[in-house]
Amino acid sequence: MHLTDDDIVRSISAHSPEGIEALYDRYGGLAHTVALRILSDRGAAEDVVQESFLSVWRRGSTFQPGRGSLRSWICTIVRNRAIDRLRGDRHRTHLDTPIEGQSIEPAITDPWAAVALELSGEEVRKALADLPPEQRQTIELAYYGGYSQSEIATAMEVPLGTVKGRVRIALDKLRAALADRLETPWQPQ
Amino acid sequence: MAAAMNCEEADDLLALDAVGALETADRAEMERHLSTCASGRHLAAEYAGVASLLPLALDPAPPPARLRRNLMAQVYGEATSKAPSPWWRRLVTAIPANRAITVVAAAALATAIVLAVWGVTGQRLVPAPISYVVSGGTSQQSVTGNLAVDAVTRQSILTVHGLAPLPRTEVYEVWLIPAHGPPKGVAFLAPSPSSGAWTAVVNGSLDGYTTIAATNEPIGGSPGPTGSQVLIGQLG
Repeated sequence: MHLTDDDIVRSISAHSPEGIEALYDRYGGLAHTVALRILSDRGAAEDVVQESFLSVWRRGSTFQPGRGSLRSWICTIVRNRAIDRLRGDRHRTHLDTPIEGQSIEPAITDPWAAVALELSGEEVRKALADLPPEQRQTIELAYYGGYSQSEIATAMEVPLGTVKGRVRIALDKLRAALADRLETPWQPQ
Repeated sequence: MAAAMNCEEADDLLALDAVGALETADRAEMERHLSTCASGRHLAAEYAGVASLLPLALDPAPPPARLRRNLMAQVYGEATSKAPSPWWRRLVTAIPANRAITVVAAAALATAIVLAVWGVTGQRLVPAPISYVVSGGTSQQSVTGNLAVDAVTRQSILTVHGLAPLPRTEVYEVWLIPAHGPPKGVAFLAPSPSSGAWTAVVNGSLDGYTTIAATNEPIGGSPGPTGSQVLIGQLG
């Protein structure tokens, strides 16, 4: 029986082990890929993935309504834990965004959830490759290196405003490059 | 008062947040802007969605079969066990009636002694610190320590000996547990390089709490106890 992300969400919220099993079978590979990219260590990546899914299992009953797709949600949990492990930072910036307590109601407000199902890795890689190197490097330092805006500015020896602009322009370009996959492109209200 | 952030300024922060680079100092201002800007909220969702596609560009690295096996063994094991109450709930409901009486009697005796001294010396009454004993929990049974409570400053110092060192990715988080309701994380234990003791400062009144405990948690702490219990103490 094919489970939708909504089915998995309901199952996890009901504290069903089958829900975690379905979540892992659907997104465990991607989660491990993200963790390994960040940590470059298979043992550490496995630990982070296991901790992340166990955290979801144990906190299933505390989920609150929020935003984001199930895929992006689990990837963010894994990414945050991997960054913690990589940097050993006592003051996690993402403490202000307790992602593990946020809703796992998928696809309601994420216009890219359906797009992601159809996109190939090659298409995303091409869109990234088409970015100017400094914009791509900024994104990678942030997303995979856990660098804050100030740390990126220092590492790349550019003003803070340049970092902000590069990230925004890069995301705008990626959005434009992949937006034709959207069935109903978002329009400002 | 600083002028409210405009949309262009907010857009930069939304993009930073989407890739995990937003700093704490900017978050409050961004959230304030989002609370009144619908287009900002839509853009935040757009940026978050785009950023969530980044992992798709990675070359897939399938996890080993043992990862699934270990994870599911733990999940199903916890699910099929007799679902005990969280350790902190079992602790609170298991406090012997005579323990509460003993603590109350001790507090009454301490008060009587203080009053007697005050009466004799005519000194201004300064409450003596109250001290509670803490002992090892389920995972580190040889731990000892005490919680010294200063009722005047409403500050308590938890001093613990015998705790094992932690990896850099973990902390010992201190919890106050009420008779009813979830534990409240109040501090992190810090090691003293010279003495080998671990200490934590707990600010605020202990009224309404019956137990103090500590668990090891991921660095940064957790919303609730998830790790093994390393120490426990009754507050009466």
